[in-house]
Amino acid sequence: MTNARSLSNSTALRDETVLRRVRQLGSARDGLREWRLQRLTALALIPLGLYFAASILWLATSDQATAAGWLASPAPALLVMLFVLAGLAHALIGMHSVLLDYVHTRARLLAGELFVRAAAVIIAGASVLAVLKLFLGD
Amino acid sequence: MDRPLSPFMFPIWYRFQITSALSILHRITGIGLALGSVLLAWWLITVAAGGKLFAATNAFIASPVGMLLLFFWSVAFFYHLCNGIRHLAWDAGYGFEIRQTYRSGYAVLAGTALLTVLAWLYVFLA
Repeated sequence: MTNARSLSNSTALRDETVLRRVRQLGSARDGLREWRLQRLTALALIPLGLYFAASILWLATSDQATAAGWLASPAPALLVMLFVLAGLAHALIGMHSVLLDYVHTRARLLAGELFVRAAAVIIAGASVLAVLKLFLGD
Repeated sequence: MDRPLSPFMFPIWYRFQITSALSILHRITGIGLALGSVLLAWWLITVAAGGKLFAATNAFIASPVGMLLLFFWSVAFFYHLCNGIRHLAWDAGYGFEIRQTYRSGYAVLAGTALLTVLAWLYVFLA
């Protein structure tokens, strides 16, 4: 009887430990926020992406004055910045899960994530600066 | 017997299915588009900088290699867009039956082809 009780106690203790591990250390820790952000940016990128794709295919071979004039007007400037920022946030989550799937050592994973994050921040900063220069300048 | 590990099973042991092919294509186009964001930022910078930098970039885009890159970007974008909408439908709980999954997969391929053709007709005719 006492044996059975102690067994059930230790089982309960083990279950609690497993639950705590899931909460504190497992993938359930902060995945939901990323999952939600990935879907939210995906929804935002449907109209933003279609607008940007149509614009960029129209502008790709145009002269500088046309492209600069387009980016200097308010709606395109705003929508291009939103497209770049939503796209990079979306890409960052995607690249994060790709790295998690294929990089199997902690050091390489950390290095990969730092690289991807740094790249995203630099690309975002450079793009926003370029658009702001055209929008605010002249 | 040396048993093959999963990535190397494709040609011999693993039967081709449209579902798995579209899934890996979603990831490949996603990585491609992420890399493409570097070129996008570069184009924005050259438009802002103007001068020789823009002229060189513009000449590169108009070159066969540049146009091919732009074409691949458009295919990757339209595919990731269509298949992304398919994923959002799954997230909302629709289309999990195998037949529906196959049908939506072919619809994604058709949508990608249609959007790509329309976009490039627009480029060459406008």
